[in-house]
Amino acid sequence: MGLFDEQVNAVAAFVRDKRASGELREFATGERKPWPEGSSLVLEEDSALEMGNPRIASLSVLLWTEGDIGDSGRVSIVGPDINEAADLSIPFAQVLIASGEFPNEYDSFRDLRDAVYDTHLSGLSVRTMPSKQTMWCKVARDARAAGLSLVDLGAAYAEALRGVEGVTAAEALFVTSSAADVKRLAGAASGAQRLVDAMMKMYQEQNFDCETCEYADVCDTVMDLKKIRSKLADDKAV
Amino acid sequence: MNMILAVCGKGGVGKTTISAVGARGLASRGVKSLIVDADPAGGLAMALDISPKKTLNDVRKELIEEVKAGSRDERDLAVSVDYLVAEALAEVGSLAFLAIGRPEDVGCYCKVNVILKDAIEGLGNLFDVVLIDAEAGIEQVNRKVMGSVDYVLLVSDTSVKAVRVAETIKTVADRMVSGEGAGLLINRVREEGEAKRVAKGTSLPVLGWVPEDDTVRRFDAGADSFLELPDCPASGAIEKALEAVELF
Repeated sequence: MGLFDEQVNAVAAFVRDKRASGELREFATGERKPWPEGSSLVLEEDSALEMGNPRIASLSVLLWTEGDIGDSGRVSIVGPDINEAADLSIPFAQVLIASGEFPNEYDSFRDLRDAVYDTHLSGLSVRTMPSKQTMWCKVARDARAAGLSLVDLGAAYAEALRGVEGVTAAEALFVTSSAADVKRLAGAASGAQRLVDAMMKMYQEQNFDCETCEYADVCDTVMDLKKIRSKLADDKAV
Repeated sequence: MNMILAVCGKGGVGKTTISAVGARGLASRGVKSLIVDADPAGGLAMALDISPKKTLNDVRKELIEEVKAGSRDERDLAVSVDYLVAEALAEVGSLAFLAIGRPEDVGCYCKVNVILKDAIEGLGNLFDVVLIDAEAGIEQVNRKVMGSVDYVLLVSDTSVKAVRVAETIKTVADRMVSGEGAGLLINRVREEGEAKRVAKGTSLPVLGWVPEDDTVRRFDAGADSFLELPDCPASGAIEKALEAVELF
């Protein structure tokens, strides 16, 4: 059992559907030359493409599992890649999944999250709003002309996640096809958010009064959160 | 290596006009610039005819709500503020404009203020130039916007009072400015003799003087953006001074 089993399964179901309908493209990134790193601020006049404007559709979620996710570094895309987008602004969902062993979920969460936050590609401006799970990107004209692809972004994230202790594999899914497709992942994303919020509250507040806690429902139903709660309560009692 | 320049001086001496003409010069040269309106009155936004959707103070309030929600650690907050500040940027060509806004008493949130200042400094590093139209002195810039600036452009008119205020700002700036220092630009000069008299009466290094100019006066009085200001004697003098400090 893992913290995000339900969410990982929901994403897997989405991927299966899209694969079956021929809308999913999958890329191995093992031999791919990494895109140059670099913090970028892309102004509108330099922007070739905007992805994930929250007024259209935007979603970003990070999951981890102790289950097998198959080929490490795989990048899956539903919808147009950066150089294929016909519009100047397109919907965007990003789902990152790391696989491995995570004996301390909270430490793992922070390490995985920080690895994602610390990944910056030259010519791509990324802004993330964790509480809303939105991710707003702008692609510079130069970067698009030079061939920047979502495969490069996914490969960079997979590489960064594999650098985290305990991680054996990582993959990325990008959805740019439609706001409706992005919305299909919203349930999994919000479920994951609630689990992370509950876990952060446990660690930050060290308050285990379940009668008053707004996350009591998730803690009561998700085995891994129960384990975390018990362990923290025991540690506090010592 | 970018340059951070703050325009400071006594109220009413023309800081905002000089900042606006500076922004015009940066825009016409295509310099990727962050223009910061640090005056709560928002005069620079009006001078450039820019209507930002939100101010940095709005961002501060949103961030405080994130803190109150309680489930975000400092890393998440730092990432959030980058997002919110990006939302607050209003762009015109190569310029990105950020208004500080009017501070409201919403309690003491030191953590938020530190995160905000770090975010603006980080944002500033992504631009070739940061031009700050300050409310008054360098202390306010230091406290609210940037921990350090490279150059303080002191603005005065030809009055003794305005020059003395500039001198006081310079004294404080000497402790805070990391770059080459500060210089005085004398604004609204009616004839060269006036400028010479001011220059003679101060120990401040004088960068130049800006003549009274009907074109500037007309733009000041009207609603036109200073980004559309035609070349005129005042704009030429301001740009010459900014070239001297290597802003462009």
